[in-house]
Amino acid sequence: MLNLRTIEWAAVICLALTAIPAANAEDSAAAMASVATGTNEVAPGKLRSLDEDVQSLKDEVLALNRDLFLLEEELLFPANSQVAFFISMDVGEFFDLDSVSLKIDGKDVANYLYTEREAGALLRGGVHRVHMDNLKVGDHELVAVFIGQGPHVRDYRRGATMSFNKGIGAKYLELKITDKASKQQPEFVIQEWE
Amino acid sequence: MRDRRPILVALCRLAATAVLWQPVAAETLTAPVVVQDAHYGEVLFYFYQEEYFPAIVRTLVAREQQLIDHHDAESELLLGGLYLSYGHHLRAAEIFERLLAGNVEPQVRDRTWFFLAKIWNQRGYPEKSQEALDSIQGDLPEALAAERQLLQAQIHIDSGQYDKAIALLVDWQGRNEWASYAQFNLGVAMVRSGRVSEAELILDALGKQKTRSKELNALRDKANLALGYAFLQDGQPESAKPVLQRVRLAGPFSNKALLGAGWADAERGDYRNALVPWLELRDRNLLDSAVQESLLAVPYAMAKLDSISHAADHYLHAIDAFDAEGQRIDQAIARIEQGELLDEFLAHDPDGATGWYWKLDTLPDGTESRYLYHLMAAHEFQEALKNYRDLRYLARNLDRWRQNLEVFQDMLETRELAYYHRLPRIKASLANADVEKLVTQKLDFDAQLNNIERSSDSLALASRAEAALWREIAALETTPALAAAIPEAGKARNKIALLKGVLQWQLDASFKERLWTIRRDVRLSGEALVETQRARRNIDKSMQTEPQTFGRFNARIAGLAPRIESLQTRVDASVARQRAFLQSLAVEELRAQQGRLATYTVQARFALAAIYDLSSTVGEASQ
Repeated sequence: MLNLRTIEWAAVICLALTAIPAANAEDSAAAMASVATGTNEVAPGKLRSLDEDVQSLKDEVLALNRDLFLLEEELLFPANSQVAFFISMDVGEFFDLDSVSLKIDGKDVANYLYTEREAGALLRGGVHRVHMDNLKVGDHELVAVFIGQGPHVRDYRRGATMSFNKGIGAKYLELKITDKASKQQPEFVIQEWE
Repeated sequence: MRDRRPILVALCRLAATAVLWQPVAAETLTAPVVVQDAHYGEVLFYFYQEEYFPAIVRTLVAREQQLIDHHDAESELLLGGLYLSYGHHLRAAEIFERLLAGNVEPQVRDRTWFFLAKIWNQRGYPEKSQEALDSIQGDLPEALAAERQLLQAQIHIDSGQYDKAIALLVDWQGRNEWASYAQFNLGVAMVRSGRVSEAELILDALGKQKTRSKELNALRDKANLALGYAFLQDGQPESAKPVLQRVRLAGPFSNKALLGAGWADAERGDYRNALVPWLELRDRNLLDSAVQESLLAVPYAMAKLDSISHAADHYLHAIDAFDAEGQRIDQAIARIEQGELLDEFLAHDPDGATGWYWKLDTLPDGTESRYLYHLMAAHEFQEALKNYRDLRYLARNLDRWRQNLEVFQDMLETRELAYYHRLPRIKASLANADVEKLVTQKLDFDAQLNNIERSSDSLALASRAEAALWREIAALETTPALAAAIPEAGKARNKIALLKGVLQWQLDASFKERLWTIRRDVRLSGEALVETQRARRNIDKSMQTEPQTFGRFNARIAGLAPRIESLQTRVDASVARQRAFLQSLAVEELRAQQGRLATYTVQARFALAAIYDLSSTVGEASQ
């Protein structure tokens, strides 16, 4: 009778005895699954060559993006008339931000709905540029309406108003949400970013 | 700069909070710093969302515009971390090598070298990985130190320096999870360097360890599998069976262990017992080579037990099963070669996802997917897939910018057209508006008002009606009839004198007020004239500079458009190469499976033929 033992025992030993990569446990489990099922090492030289190609492309595309962003900003929002509006949060114990809407000189200009991920990034200290505009030199009025959940998970809607003067040169305004511990309430402040 | 909300970032731990340094983030949280530049906060906004590409671009833009000068040093380190998290490790290394040469906290420096070593090893740069490990000067935190030692040992094993790996692993201290991995890799190095008996002791100890950890259970199974097959190979089936029976029935190594356990019995001639694990395998997933082999092993054992007709049936069943599976693999290869596979792989990948930490966790439904489960676990495939995904992101990014640039070009052309369309009218208006003449008039007004004030000429400030009335009264005064010496004329003269007196009194009484009002109006006119002069200068300047501005923007757009186009071509070519590479990996995997099935089929047919021969020989003999 034929010997039908077709899986080479040495091969199984060899495959099982593949070093566990020094990665985290999850990666190790994946590597072991690879070993168990006999996936072979593949073309590392080819991988590296392709990777070097990708690295070079990433570099050039990033540099191109930088130049395009600069062009876009200078074209759409020249420094003399540029005004940028930023949202920031501090602590956020009394307020979960859902959305912000902005009015400049009585005209609706922005309405931004925040994802959980974005709100999380704000809470960790990120600052979001919510709107950019071109405004004439002179006095303007900004009205910001913050919508979200306030203390005790109640729907919360609060406005903040600020008059500001736009001079020559770019202007940055910060719409800041802070916790007012003494009142156990959120506080909404608009201020110029100096 | 006023105080801002403290964020949990500092030069050294800024990067530590990144995904890159997640394992050590908690322990590196130290003194908070403040965001001093809005644009730096904006970079963090994207960074905290793990959107590394936009975070890098915003950092580059803000640095170019000098908008994050307060965070100059931090932003450089952050940029290095962002590059690394994005998988742009060569650029990250440049930054780190520059920064790490400077006055950076040794712990941060060593951790950074370690992560660079790790990513380079995974991306197929072993010599760079070794250089990075060699650059670590101090002690890493315990968890990372263990990982570092394993990484070093793996590099030695991969380069065939087994003795070095053994020397590194044999004195491993500690009894944590890493220790088990170290023991296993020590066994690997020993087997590969020919020290099998020493390796057996290590693998046996590992194979008996009790643990609730999923990973360590898998490691234990793997050690038992290797040891069991080593015993089989060494002609010790009685030792092999208990070791193979230690492998869990539900684990990833179960199929090969069951097959080996069957062979351990078969080697000792106990075919009846061998059938038990082999029949258990029969209903398992045919993709596994152990299951495929069991389809041959079962009839082999049956034949040995003189159950020839059953053996023949099983061989026929095996041939049919291999044939059907082979056809399915053919179809799968065709689909992969059509290029549909990779798009399905990334169908659920969010467009914005980038980064080295991304990993394909689940395969899409589809005929070929089930054949590629094993491939998904390979580093090379995952790394190549990450690059493929990143390239697709770059392709989308370039396409978006190409469209935007077209819009910018249209916008600029429209702006330019409108400018040159309005220019003649503006020039004509400016020619008509003689600002200097108006200034002279204003100065004349001032002089007139001064004279009026000096001479107290209240009549000069009379309104039109008052002036008309004054003229009427003056005309009446000179009427000849009023000169008559009659009482009526005298009465009329008195009335006219009274009217004139009242008017004069009114003009005199309101003189100062009128003078102030007029002076105010003249002053406001003067201010408006100054503003007009300033606007005029601006317009003149704009008329000089605007064509140059249009020219500059046009030149920039003209320079950027071919860069986009050229990069699009290169990215497309790179996507095609990466896709071809991934497809070749997948097809290679399937061809290997197909080859194995073909071998099994030949063997099954040969065994079947042998059975038929035997049957006919027995039949002829009985006749």
